[in-house]
Amino acid sequence: MTRTFQITRALMTAGLLETIRRKDLYVVLILTVLLVLGASAFRVFGVQGLEIFVKDVAFTAIGVMTTILTVLIAARQIPEEMQRRTIYPLMARPITRGQLLLGKWATAYFTASLCFLLLTLATLGLLIALGVPVKPIFMQYVLLKLIGIGWLCAMVVALSLYLTPAANVTLTLILAFGSGVFNRLLLMAHWEHGLNALWLNLLYGALPHYDYFDMSKKVVFDWDLAPWWVLGALAGYALLSGAAWLLIGWLKFRKQTIGS
Amino acid sequence: MLMLAIEVRELVVSYRRWFKPPFRAVNRLSFEVQEGEIVGFLGANGAGKTSTIKTLMGFQPPSGGVVRIFGMDATDARARQLVGFLPETALYSPYLTPYETLRLYGELHGLRKHALHAQIEALLEAVNLAHKMHTLNKNLSKGMLQRVGIAQALLGDPKLLILDEVSSGLDPIGKRELRDLLASQRARGATIFFSSHELAEVASICDRILIIHQGVLIAQHRLSDLAGRVDSLEDYFIRTVQAGRDILDTEVHAA
Repeated sequence: MTRTFQITRALMTAGLLETIRRKDLYVVLILTVLLVLGASAFRVFGVQGLEIFVKDVAFTAIGVMTTILTVLIAARQIPEEMQRRTIYPLMARPITRGQLLLGKWATAYFTASLCFLLLTLATLGLLIALGVPVKPIFMQYVLLKLIGIGWLCAMVVALSLYLTPAANVTLTLILAFGSGVFNRLLLMAHWEHGLNALWLNLLYGALPHYDYFDMSKKVVFDWDLAPWWVLGALAGYALLSGAAWLLIGWLKFRKQTIGS
Repeated sequence: MLMLAIEVRELVVSYRRWFKPPFRAVNRLSFEVQEGEIVGFLGANGAGKTSTIKTLMGFQPPSGGVVRIFGMDATDARARQLVGFLPETALYSPYLTPYETLRLYGELHGLRKHALHAQIEALLEAVNLAHKMHTLNKNLSKGMLQRVGIAQALLGDPKLLILDEVSSGLDPIGKRELRDLLASQRARGATIFFSSHELAEVASICDRILIIHQGVLIAQHRLSDLAGRVDSLEDYFIRTVQAGRDILDTEVHAA
Protein backbone atom coordinates (compact mmCIF):
# COMPACT_ATOMS: atom_id res chain seq x y z
CA MET A 1 0.00 0.00 0.00
CA THR A 2 2.84 2.38 0.93
CA ARG A 3 4.60 1.46 -2.30
CA THR A 4 1.47 2.16 -4.37
CA PHE A 5 1.15 5.50 -2.62
CA GLN A 6 4.80 6.33 -3.36
CA ILE A 7 4.31 5.45 -7.05
CA THR A 8 1.10 7.46 -7.25
CA ARG A 9 2.71 10.49 -5.59
CA ALA A 10 5.69 10.38 -7.98
CA LEU A 11 3.42 10.20 -11.04
CA MET A 12 1.15 12.95 -9.69
CA THR A 13 4.04 15.33 -9.09
CA ALA A 14 5.39 14.81 -12.61
CA GLY A 15 1.90 15.08 -14.12
CA LEU A 16 1.18 18.33 -12.31
CA LEU A 17 4.47 19.87 -13.45
CA GLU A 18 3.64 18.90 -17.03
CA THR A 19 0.17 20.44 -16.86
CA ILE A 20 1.50 23.70 -15.43
CA ARG A 21 4.21 23.92 -18.11
CA ARG A 22 1.85 23.08 -20.96
CA LYS A 23 -0.03 26.31 -20.17
CA ASP A 24 -3.46 24.89 -21.22
CA LEU A 25 -4.80 25.90 -17.83
CA TYR A 26 -3.96 29.60 -18.24
CA VAL A 27 -5.85 29.78 -21.53
CA VAL A 28 -8.95 28.28 -19.93
CA LEU A 29 -8.63 30.53 -16.90
CA ILE A 30 -8.38 33.67 -19.05
CA LEU A 31 -11.32 32.51 -21.19
CA THR A 32 -13.54 31.95 -18.14
CA VAL A 33 -12.68 35.34 -16.67
CA LEU A 34 -13.48 36.99 -20.01
CA LEU A 35 -16.83 35.17 -20.22
CA VAL A 36 -17.88 36.27 -16.73
CA LEU A 37 -16.70 39.81 -17.32
CA GLY A 38 -18.53 39.83 -20.65
CA ALA A 39 -21.72 38.66 -18.99
CA SER A 40 -21.41 41.26 -16.25
CA ALA A 41 -20.85 44.06 -18.78
CA PHE A 42 -24.65 44.48 -18.91
CA ARG A 43 -24.37 46.33 -15.62
CA VAL A 44 -22.37 49.05 -17.30
CA PHE A 45 -25.32 49.72 -19.56
CA GLY A 46 -27.67 50.04 -16.60
CA VAL A 47 -29.49 46.71 -16.94
CA GLN A 48 -30.33 45.62 -13.39
CA GLY A 49 -31.27 42.23 -11.89
CA LEU A 50 -28.90 40.22 -13.99
CA GLU A 51 -27.37 38.25 -11.12
CA ILE A 52 -28.97 35.01 -12.27
CA PHE A 53 -27.78 35.51 -15.83
CA VAL A 54 -24.20 36.28 -14.75
CA LYS A 55 -24.18 33.24 -12.44
CA ASP A 56 -25.61 31.03 -15.18
CA VAL A 57 -22.88 32.10 -17.61
CA ALA A 58 -20.19 31.69 -14.95
CA PHE A 59 -21.21 28.18 -13.85
CA THR A 60 -21.87 27.01 -17.40
CA ALA A 61 -18.38 28.22 -18.33
CA ILE A 62 -16.84 26.39 -15.35
CA GLY A 63 -18.75 23.21 -16.24
CA VAL A 64 -17.80 23.23 -19.92
CA MET A 65 -14.15 24.17 -19.35
CA THR A 66 -13.73 21.63 -16.54
CA THR A 67 -15.23 18.81 -18.59
CA ILE A 68 -13.05 19.58 -21.62
CA LEU A 69 -9.91 19.93 -19.48
CA THR A 70 -10.64 16.73 -17.55
CA VAL A 71 -11.20 14.71 -20.71
CA LEU A 72 -8.07 16.11 -22.38
CA ILE A 73 -5.89 15.57 -19.30
CA ALA A 74 -7.14 12.02 -18.63
CA ALA A 75 -7.10 10.98 -22.30
CA ARG A 76 -3.41 11.75 -22.71
CA GLN A 77 -2.13 10.03 -19.55
CA ILE A 78 -1.26 6.58 -20.96
CA PRO A 79 -1.50 7.04 -24.78
CA GLU A 80 0.97 9.94 -24.72
CA GLU A 81 3.48 7.85 -22.74
CA MET A 82 3.11 5.14 -25.40
CA GLN A 83 3.32 7.60 -28.29
CA ARG A 84 6.48 9.36 -27.15
CA ARG A 85 7.85 6.03 -25.86
CA THR A 86 8.43 7.32 -22.34
CA ILE A 87 6.41 4.27 -21.25
CA TYR A 88 9.57 2.13 -21.61
CA PRO A 89 11.70 3.71 -18.86
CA LEU A 90 8.51 4.04 -16.80
CA MET A 91 7.60 0.36 -17.00
CA ALA A 92 11.24 -0.64 -16.59
CA ARG A 93 10.76 0.22 -12.90
CA PRO A 94 9.51 -2.30 -10.34
CA ILE A 95 5.88 -1.26 -10.72
CA THR A 96 2.92 -3.35 -11.82
CA ARG A 97 0.61 -2.32 -14.61
CA GLY A 98 -2.20 -1.99 -12.09
CA GLN A 99 -0.11 0.47 -10.08
CA LEU A 100 0.66 2.47 -13.21
CA LEU A 101 -3.03 2.58 -14.19
CA LEU A 102 -4.02 3.69 -10.69
CA GLY A 103 -1.20 6.25 -10.63
CA LYS A 104 -2.24 7.67 -13.98
CA TRP A 105 -5.87 7.91 -12.90
CA ALA A 106 -4.81 9.68 -9.70
CA THR A 107 -2.60 12.05 -11.71
CA ALA A 108 -5.47 12.95 -14.03
CA TYR A 109 -7.87 13.32 -11.08
CA PHE A 110 -5.52 15.48 -9.04
CA THR A 111 -4.59 17.72 -11.98
CA ALA A 112 -8.15 18.12 -13.27
CA SER A 113 -9.46 18.81 -9.74
CA LEU A 114 -6.84 21.47 -9.24
CA CYS A 115 -7.80 23.10 -12.55
CA PHE A 116 -11.48 23.01 -11.51
CA LEU A 117 -10.74 24.52 -8.09
CA LEU A 118 -8.66 27.29 -9.65
CA LEU A 119 -11.40 28.06 -12.18
CA THR A 120 -14.03 28.02 -9.46
CA LEU A 121 -12.04 30.22 -7.10
CA ALA A 122 -11.29 32.74 -9.86
CA THR A 123 -14.97 32.83 -10.88
CA LEU A 124 -16.18 33.04 -7.28
CA GLY A 125 -13.81 35.94 -6.63
CA LEU A 126 -15.09 37.69 -9.71
CA LEU A 127 -18.75 37.11 -8.77
CA ILE A 128 -18.15 38.48 -5.27
CA ALA A 129 -16.33 41.49 -6.74
CA LEU A 130 -19.32 42.11 -9.01
CA GLY A 131 -21.66 41.90 -6.01
CA VAL A 132 -23.37 38.67 -7.16
CA PRO A 133 -24.22 36.55 -4.08
CA VAL A 134 -23.65 32.77 -3.88
CA LYS A 135 -25.56 30.55 -1.39
CA PRO A 136 -24.11 27.66 0.78
CA ILE A 137 -25.26 25.10 -1.82
CA PHE A 138 -22.18 26.26 -3.71
CA MET A 139 -20.06 24.09 -1.38
CA GLN A 140 -22.14 21.03 -2.26
CA TYR A 141 -21.73 21.90 -5.94
CA VAL A 142 -17.93 21.95 -5.55
CA LEU A 143 -17.90 18.68 -3.61
CA LEU A 144 -20.12 16.87 -6.11
CA LYS A 145 -18.14 18.21 -9.05
CA LEU A 146 -14.91 16.88 -7.47
CA ILE A 147 -16.52 13.45 -7.12
CA GLY A 148 -17.70 13.64 -10.74
CA ILE A 149 -14.24 14.58 -12.01
CA GLY A 150 -12.79 11.44 -10.39
CA TRP A 151 -15.47 9.32 -12.02
CA LEU A 152 -14.97 10.97 -15.43
CA CYS A 153 -11.19 10.45 -15.21
CA ALA A 154 -11.72 6.72 -14.54
CA MET A 155 -13.94 6.39 -17.62
CA VAL A 156 -11.58 8.33 -19.91
CA VAL A 157 -8.40 6.56 -18.68
CA ALA A 158 -10.07 3.15 -19.15
CA LEU A 159 -11.33 3.96 -22.65
CA SER A 160 -7.91 5.36 -23.61
CA LEU A 161 -6.65 1.75 -23.52
CA TYR A 162 -9.24 0.60 -26.05
CA LEU A 163 -9.65 3.58 -28.38
CA THR A 164 -7.37 5.92 -30.29
CA PRO A 165 -6.86 9.26 -28.48
CA ALA A 166 -9.07 11.15 -30.97
CA ALA A 167 -11.87 8.57 -30.75
CA ASN A 168 -11.63 8.52 -26.96
CA VAL A 169 -11.86 12.32 -26.62
CA THR A 170 -14.78 12.50 -29.07
CA LEU A 171 -16.73 9.66 -27.45
CA THR A 172 -16.20 10.77 -23.86
CA LEU A 173 -17.07 14.40 -24.63
CA ILE A 174 -20.29 13.22 -26.32
CA LEU A 175 -21.08 11.01 -23.32
CA ALA A 176 -20.23 13.75 -20.81
CA PHE A 177 -22.16 16.57 -22.49
CA GLY A 178 -24.85 14.27 -23.86
CA SER A 179 -25.62 12.65 -20.52
CA GLY A 180 -27.98 15.54 -19.76
CA VAL A 181 -30.45 14.16 -22.30
CA PHE A 182 -30.28 10.53 -21.15
CA ASN A 183 -33.14 11.15 -18.72
CA ARG A 184 -35.43 11.39 -21.77
CA LEU A 185 -35.18 7.59 -21.75
CA LEU A 186 -37.01 7.55 -18.41
CA LEU A 187 -39.79 9.67 -19.91
CA MET A 188 -40.01 7.27 -22.84
CA ALA A 189 -40.06 4.30 -20.47
CA HIS A 190 -42.94 5.93 -18.58
CA TRP A 191 -45.10 5.79 -21.70
CA GLU A 192 -44.05 2.27 -22.67
CA HIS A 193 -45.09 -1.08 -21.16
CA GLY A 194 -43.59 -4.51 -20.59
CA LEU A 195 -40.33 -5.41 -22.32
CA ASN A 196 -39.96 -2.03 -24.01
CA ALA A 197 -40.15 -0.19 -20.69
CA LEU A 198 -37.70 -2.64 -19.10
CA TRP A 199 -35.27 -2.26 -21.99
CA LEU A 200 -35.39 1.56 -21.79
CA ASN A 201 -34.88 1.48 -18.00
CA LEU A 202 -31.93 -0.89 -18.37
CA LEU A 203 -30.41 1.28 -21.07
CA TYR A 204 -30.78 4.34 -18.84
CA GLY A 205 -29.05 2.50 -15.98
CA ALA A 206 -26.25 1.19 -18.17
CA LEU A 207 -25.37 4.56 -19.71
CA PRO A 208 -22.70 6.62 -17.92
CA HIS A 209 -24.23 9.56 -16.04
CA TYR A 210 -21.93 12.52 -15.71
CA ASP A 211 -25.06 14.66 -15.38
CA TYR A 212 -25.59 13.25 -11.86
CA PHE A 213 -22.63 15.32 -10.65
CA ASP A 214 -23.83 18.73 -11.84
CA MET A 215 -25.63 21.00 -9.36
CA SER A 216 -24.83 24.22 -11.19
CA LYS A 217 -28.45 25.14 -11.95
CA LYS A 218 -29.32 24.74 -8.27
CA VAL A 219 -26.53 27.19 -7.41
CA VAL A 220 -27.70 29.62 -10.08
CA PHE A 221 -31.26 29.58 -8.75
CA ASP A 222 -30.17 29.72 -5.07
CA TRP A 223 -31.63 26.40 -3.92
CA ASP A 224 -31.36 25.27 -0.32
CA LEU A 225 -28.83 22.60 0.60
CA ALA A 226 -29.55 19.17 -0.85
CA PRO A 227 -29.94 16.29 1.65
CA TRP A 228 -26.51 14.86 2.43
CA TRP A 229 -27.63 11.29 1.83
CA VAL A 230 -28.11 12.22 -1.84
CA LEU A 231 -24.48 13.26 -2.07
CA GLY A 232 -23.50 10.06 -0.24
CA ALA A 233 -25.47 7.96 -2.73
CA LEU A 234 -23.85 9.78 -5.65
CA ALA A 235 -20.40 9.24 -4.11
CA GLY A 236 -21.27 5.53 -3.87
CA TYR A 237 -22.30 5.49 -7.55
CA ALA A 238 -19.05 7.24 -8.52
CA LEU A 239 -16.98 4.83 -6.45
CA LEU A 240 -18.57 1.66 -7.80
CA SER A 241 -18.90 2.80 -11.38
CA GLY A 242 -15.41 4.40 -11.40
CA ALA A 243 -13.85 1.22 -9.98
CA ALA A 244 -15.66 -0.78 -12.69
CA TRP A 245 -14.19 1.49 -15.38
CA LEU A 246 -10.67 1.09 -13.97
CA LEU A 247 -11.17 -2.68 -13.84
CA ILE A 248 -12.21 -2.67 -17.51
CA GLY A 249 -9.06 -0.68 -18.33
CA TRP A 250 -6.83 -3.00 -16.31
CA LEU A 251 -8.25 -6.11 -18.02
CA LYS A 252 -6.95 -4.75 -21.32
CA PHE A 253 -3.71 -3.23 -20.03
CA ARG A 254 -2.43 -6.19 -17.98
CA LYS A 255 -1.62 -8.30 -21.07
CA GLN A 256 -1.05 -5.52 -23.58
CA THR A 257 2.31 -5.35 -25.35
CA ILE A 258 3.90 -2.09 -24.29
CA GLY A 259 4.67 0.11 -27.25
CA SER A 260 2.94 -1.97 -29.92
CA MET B 1 28.24 -19.04 -6.32
CA LEU B 2 27.35 -16.95 -9.36
CA MET B 3 23.77 -17.20 -10.54
CA LEU B 4 22.22 -16.65 -13.91
CA ALA B 5 21.36 -13.02 -14.50
CA ILE B 6 19.34 -13.88 -17.61
CA GLU B 7 17.88 -17.21 -18.56
CA VAL B 8 16.00 -17.57 -21.85
CA ARG B 9 14.58 -20.99 -22.78
CA GLU B 10 12.83 -21.74 -26.08
CA LEU B 11 11.53 -18.17 -26.32
CA VAL B 12 8.94 -17.51 -28.99
CA VAL B 13 7.60 -14.02 -29.72
CA SER B 14 4.78 -13.83 -32.26
CA TYR B 15 2.77 -10.87 -33.47
CA ARG B 16 -0.79 -11.35 -34.61
CA ARG B 17 -1.70 -9.89 -37.98
CA TRP B 18 -5.07 -9.28 -39.60
CA PHE B 19 -5.93 -11.91 -42.24
CA LYS B 20 -2.37 -13.28 -42.21
CA PRO B 21 -0.58 -15.96 -40.20
CA PRO B 22 1.18 -14.57 -37.08
CA PHE B 23 4.64 -13.13 -37.63
CA ARG B 24 7.25 -14.96 -35.55
CA ALA B 25 9.88 -12.37 -34.57
CA VAL B 26 11.74 -14.70 -32.18
CA ASN B 27 11.84 -18.44 -32.79
CA ARG B 28 12.79 -20.86 -29.97
CA LEU B 29 15.63 -18.71 -28.75
CA SER B 30 17.70 -20.02 -25.82
CA PHE B 31 20.68 -18.42 -24.09
CA GLU B 32 22.04 -17.60 -20.66
CA VAL B 33 23.97 -14.69 -19.22
CA GLN B 34 26.03 -15.30 -16.09
CA GLU B 35 26.19 -12.72 -13.31
CA GLY B 36 29.05 -10.26 -13.97
CA GLU B 37 29.28 -10.96 -17.72
CA ILE B 38 29.15 -8.33 -20.45
CA VAL B 39 27.29 -9.74 -23.43
CA GLY B 40 26.70 -8.09 -26.80
CA PHE B 41 23.47 -9.03 -28.53
CA LEU B 42 23.99 -8.63 -32.25
CA GLY B 43 21.85 -8.96 -35.34
CA ALA B 44 20.86 -7.13 -38.49
CA ASN B 45 17.83 -4.84 -38.48
CA GLY B 46 14.66 -6.86 -37.86
CA ALA B 47 16.57 -9.84 -36.46
CA GLY B 48 14.46 -9.92 -33.30
CA LYS B 49 16.76 -8.10 -30.87
CA THR B 50 14.25 -5.53 -29.67
CA SER B 51 11.46 -8.14 -29.38
CA THR B 52 13.77 -10.26 -27.19
CA ILE B 53 14.69 -7.25 -25.06
CA LYS B 54 10.99 -6.34 -24.70
CA THR B 55 10.27 -9.78 -23.25
CA LEU B 56 13.30 -9.54 -20.95
CA MET B 57 11.85 -6.30 -19.59
CA GLY B 58 8.34 -7.71 -19.26
CA PHE B 59 6.94 -5.25 -21.82
CA GLN B 60 5.71 -8.15 -23.87
CA PRO B 61 4.52 -11.52 -22.57
CA PRO B 62 6.31 -14.34 -24.42
CA SER B 63 4.18 -16.33 -26.86
CA GLY B 64 6.11 -19.41 -25.71
CA GLY B 65 9.09 -20.41 -23.60
CA VAL B 66 10.55 -19.08 -20.38
CA VAL B 67 12.35 -15.82 -19.59
CA ARG B 68 13.90 -15.37 -16.14
CA ILE B 69 15.82 -12.50 -14.58
CA PHE B 70 17.85 -13.60 -11.54
CA GLY B 71 15.54 -16.60 -11.27
CA MET B 72 12.35 -14.52 -11.32
CA ASP B 73 9.81 -14.51 -14.14
CA ALA B 74 10.51 -11.50 -16.36
CA THR B 75 6.87 -10.37 -16.16
CA ASP B 76 7.16 -10.13 -12.35
CA ALA B 77 7.59 -6.45 -11.40
CA ARG B 78 10.03 -7.44 -8.60
CA ALA B 79 12.54 -8.67 -11.19
CA ARG B 80 12.87 -5.10 -12.45
CA GLN B 81 14.10 -3.95 -9.04
CA LEU B 82 17.47 -5.39 -10.09
CA VAL B 83 17.46 -4.08 -13.67
CA GLY B 84 18.43 -0.80 -15.31
CA PHE B 85 17.11 -0.32 -18.83
CA LEU B 86 17.96 2.04 -21.65
CA PRO B 87 15.48 1.94 -24.54
CA GLU B 88 16.57 2.22 -28.16
CA THR B 89 15.18 5.72 -28.62
CA ALA B 90 15.58 7.68 -25.44
CA LEU B 91 12.66 10.07 -25.23
CA TYR B 92 11.68 11.71 -21.99
CA SER B 93 8.90 14.07 -21.05
CA PRO B 94 9.62 17.38 -22.80
CA TYR B 95 8.07 19.28 -19.89
CA LEU B 96 10.42 17.92 -17.22
CA THR B 97 14.07 18.71 -16.55
CA PRO B 98 16.74 15.96 -16.36
CA TYR B 99 16.69 16.32 -12.57
CA GLU B 100 12.89 15.92 -12.40
CA THR B 101 13.02 13.04 -14.88
CA LEU B 102 15.52 11.15 -12.73
CA ARG B 103 13.59 12.01 -9.56
CA LEU B 104 10.44 10.50 -11.10
CA TYR B 105 12.17 7.26 -12.11
CA GLY B 106 14.08 7.10 -8.82
CA GLU B 107 10.89 7.41 -6.80
CA LEU B 108 9.23 4.77 -8.95
CA HIS B 109 12.24 2.58 -8.25
CA GLY B 110 11.60 2.98 -4.53
CA LEU B 111 14.62 5.17 -3.74
CA ARG B 112 14.32 7.46 -0.72
CA LYS B 113 14.49 11.26 -0.93
CA HIS B 114 17.98 12.13 0.38
CA ALA B 115 19.78 9.15 -1.13
CA LEU B 116 17.98 9.82 -4.40
CA HIS B 117 18.99 13.48 -4.52
CA ALA B 118 22.65 12.58 -3.99
CA GLN B 119 22.48 9.84 -6.60
CA ILE B 120 20.85 12.07 -9.22
CA GLU B 121 23.54 14.71 -8.81
CA ALA B 122 26.32 12.09 -9.02
CA LEU B 123 24.81 10.45 -12.11
CA LEU B 124 24.25 13.72 -13.96
CA GLU B 125 27.83 14.62 -13.13
CA ALA B 126 29.01 11.23 -14.44
CA VAL B 127 27.20 11.67 -17.77
CA ASN B 128 28.39 15.30 -18.03
CA LEU B 129 24.96 16.81 -17.78
CA ALA B 130 25.14 18.52 -14.39
CA HIS B 131 25.11 21.95 -16.06
CA LYS B 132 21.78 21.14 -17.79
CA MET B 133 20.19 19.64 -14.70
CA HIS B 134 17.38 22.23 -14.61
CA THR B 135 16.87 22.76 -18.35
CA LEU B 136 13.65 21.36 -19.81
CA ASN B 137 14.19 18.13 -21.78
CA LYS B 138 12.61 19.73 -24.85
CA ASN B 139 15.57 22.11 -25.02
CA LEU B 140 18.18 19.32 -24.93
CA SER B 141 19.88 17.77 -27.97
CA LYS B 142 19.42 14.10 -28.94
CA GLY B 143 22.81 13.22 -27.51
CA MET B 144 22.01 14.97 -24.23
CA LEU B 145 18.71 13.07 -23.99
CA GLN B 146 20.63 9.85 -24.53
CA ARG B 147 22.81 10.84 -21.56
CA VAL B 148 19.67 11.42 -19.47
CA GLY B 149 18.65 7.92 -20.55
CA ILE B 150 21.96 6.43 -19.49
CA ALA B 151 21.71 8.17 -16.12
CA GLN B 152 18.16 6.88 -15.52
CA ALA B 153 19.29 3.35 -16.40
CA LEU B 154 21.97 3.54 -13.70
CA LEU B 155 19.61 4.75 -10.96
CA GLY B 156 19.55 2.44 -7.95
CA ASP B 157 22.85 0.71 -8.88
CA PRO B 158 21.16 -2.11 -10.83
CA LYS B 159 22.74 -5.57 -10.83
CA LEU B 160 21.79 -6.02 -14.48
CA LEU B 161 21.90 -3.39 -17.20
CA ILE B 162 19.91 -4.00 -20.39
CA LEU B 163 20.80 -1.48 -23.04
CA ASP B 164 19.14 -1.32 -26.45
CA GLU B 165 21.32 0.44 -29.06
CA VAL B 166 23.19 2.12 -26.28
CA SER B 167 25.43 4.49 -28.24
CA SER B 168 22.80 5.71 -30.69
CA GLY B 169 22.86 9.51 -30.90
CA LEU B 170 26.12 9.92 -29.00
CA ASP B 171 29.07 11.83 -30.46
CA PRO B 172 32.60 10.28 -30.34
CA ILE B 173 33.31 11.94 -26.99
CA GLY B 174 30.03 10.64 -25.63
CA LYS B 175 30.86 7.14 -26.86
CA ARG B 176 34.23 7.22 -25.11
CA GLU B 177 32.55 8.44 -21.90
CA LEU B 178 29.96 5.69 -22.21
CA ARG B 179 32.69 3.05 -22.57
CA ASP B 180 34.34 4.36 -19.39
CA LEU B 181 31.00 4.37 -17.61
CA LEU B 182 30.27 0.77 -18.61
CA ALA B 183 33.77 -0.20 -17.48
CA SER B 184 33.07 1.33 -14.08
CA GLN B 185 29.77 -0.58 -13.93
CA ARG B 186 31.61 -3.78 -14.72
CA ALA B 187 34.14 -2.97 -11.99
CA ARG B 188 31.35 -2.81 -9.41
CA GLY B 189 30.15 -6.25 -10.59
CA ALA B 190 27.15 -5.32 -12.74
CA THR B 191 26.02 -7.63 -15.53
CA ILE B 192 25.57 -5.87 -18.87
CA PHE B 193 23.48 -7.12 -21.78
CA PHE B 194 23.31 -4.82 -24.73
CA SER B 195 22.45 -4.64 -28.40
CA SER B 196 24.47 -2.47 -30.70
CA HIS B 197 25.40 -1.99 -34.34
CA GLU B 198 28.71 -0.42 -33.31
CA LEU B 199 30.84 -3.54 -33.59
CA ALA B 200 34.11 -1.82 -32.65
CA GLU B 201 32.46 -0.81 -29.41
CA VAL B 202 31.18 -4.33 -28.85
CA ALA B 203 34.68 -5.73 -29.42
CA SER B 204 36.17 -3.34 -26.89
CA ILE B 205 33.68 -4.00 -24.08
CA CYS B 206 32.17 -7.48 -24.33
CA ASP B 207 33.17 -10.84 -22.90
CA ARG B 208 30.80 -12.68 -25.18
CA ILE B 209 28.59 -12.08 -28.21
CA LEU B 210 25.30 -13.61 -29.30
CA ILE B 211 24.24 -13.26 -32.94
CA ILE B 212 20.64 -13.75 -33.96
CA HIS B 213 19.08 -13.78 -37.38
CA GLN B 214 15.35 -14.01 -38.14
CA GLY B 215 14.73 -14.66 -34.45
CA VAL B 216 17.09 -17.64 -34.31
CA LEU B 217 20.40 -17.76 -32.43
CA ILE B 218 22.99 -18.52 -35.11
CA ALA B 219 26.24 -18.02 -33.18
CA GLN B 220 27.61 -17.35 -29.72
CA HIS B 221 31.27 -16.92 -28.87
CA ARG B 222 33.57 -15.63 -26.21
CA LEU B 223 35.50 -12.78 -27.81
CA SER B 224 38.72 -14.26 -26.44
CA ASP B 225 38.01 -17.39 -28.53
CA LEU B 226 37.59 -15.34 -31.69
CA ALA B 227 40.79 -13.37 -31.18
CA GLY B 228 43.36 -14.38 -33.81
CA ARG B 229 40.80 -16.45 -35.75
CA VAL B 230 38.99 -13.55 -37.40
CA ASP B 231 40.29 -10.33 -38.97
CA SER B 232 37.63 -8.13 -37.47
CA LEU B 233 34.36 -8.56 -35.64
CA GLU B 234 32.62 -6.76 -38.48
CA ASP B 235 33.82 -9.27 -41.09
CA TYR B 236 32.91 -12.16 -38.82
CA PHE B 237 29.46 -10.73 -38.15
CA ILE B 238 28.70 -10.20 -41.85
CA ARG B 239 29.91 -13.69 -42.78
CA THR B 240 27.94 -15.29 -39.94
CA VAL B 241 24.71 -13.48 -40.77
CA GLN B 242 25.13 -14.36 -44.48
CA ALA B 243 25.75 -18.03 -43.62
CA GLY B 244 22.81 -18.03 -41.22
CA ARG B 245 20.58 -16.52 -43.89
CA ASP B 246 21.59 -19.26 -46.37
CA ILE B 247 20.99 -22.05 -43.82
CA LEU B 248 17.61 -20.66 -42.78
CA ASP B 249 16.58 -20.17 -46.42
CA THR B 250 17.54 -23.79 -47.16
CA GLU B 251 15.51 -24.98 -44.17
CA VAL B 252 12.50 -22.98 -45.33
CA HIS B 253 12.77 -24.43 -48.86
CA ALA B 254 13.21 -27.96 -47.48
CA ALA B 255 10.15 -27.51 -45.26
